[in-house]
Amino acid sequence: MSTPLRFLIVDDFSTMRRIVRNLLKEIGYADADEAEDGAIALNKLRNGSFNFVVTDINMPNMNGFDLLTEIKKDEKLKHLPVLMVTAEARKEDIVLAAQGGAAGYIVKPFTKATLEEKLANIIKKSGL
Amino acid sequence: MNQPDTNPAGEIFKKLGGITRQLHDALNKLGYTPKLQGAVQELPDARSRLQYIARLTGEAAEKVLNLVDEAKADQMEMARQARELDDTLARVPGLNAAMPELRQMAQAIIQASERNDVRLTEIMLAQDFHDLTGQVVARVVQVAATIEEQLLALLLESAPTGKPGQDHVLAAASLQGPVVESEGRTDVVTNQAQVDDLLASLGF
Repeated sequence: MSTPLRFLIVDDFSTMRRIVRNLLKEIGYADADEAEDGAIALNKLRNGSFNFVVTDINMPNMNGFDLLTEIKKDEKLKHLPVLMVTAEARKEDIVLAAQGGAAGYIVKPFTKATLEEKLANIIKKSGL
Repeated sequence: MNQPDTNPAGEIFKKLGGITRQLHDALNKLGYTPKLQGAVQELPDARSRLQYIARLTGEAAEKVLNLVDEAKADQMEMARQARELDDTLARVPGLNAAMPELRQMAQAIIQASERNDVRLTEIMLAQDFHDLTGQVVARVVQVAATIEEQLLALLLESAPTGKPGQDHVLAAASLQGPVVESEGRTDVVTNQAQVDDLLASLGF
């Protein structure tokens, strides 16, 4: 059964957006939109209604860290949980994301179980 | 006695300019300039070959995802019909006792469909190779472009300017992309458990 949470999936690779979107649907979250980079995502977030952001980090135009910063600076968006799903595996990047307000961090390649577990934890903590 | 240099940075650039000039002259004397020209000419070809690989792997991944979508839909429909059949068979009086294999077959189809659905999800997830390898390829293409630019500059400039700020450097990108070789590195994580441990140790 799908819950009415609306997700925004941000990744410059269409393959990855599609994989995350399909996984979310399998987990039970069928309502999702996509953005190719942080700038497009920010525009969609400011002009739409979303409950959750799943974002890559390494993207052109605006990367995931900058997107996270912009979301947390924006009064209307700062409540949104942001889950980083990325190939960036340096410890300093993970710490940076956590300090920047990311709700979770998943390194690629990942499993459906990992995504499901992180989403459940974040949704529980956020009271969504 | 020489006066001490009051501008150390300027002196360093002057020396670097001299070294570059010597390198340029040495390349000419040793006859390496044509080889250098050859290398420069080959770099765009190497870049386009890498981009070709990235495009082809991307198309392959998309094709697999399309087929997985179709197969998942078929699996779901097969499982639905098998459940309906099982329900129907269960309602026929005495059938289960007379021909138990009919319901067993229907249930076996349901279970096989579920197993195949899990496999198809794994196949779908495995297509993330396009993202991971694509990031590595993009970085190599970027490095090749920078090297090409620098080699061209070396070939074109008969005398380096030696002025600060006019020499190109290979700047390391702030984001590294996937870790290609993690052995011996302590600054990276290699799996999700290490990410979770790191975040937990920081109180997140």
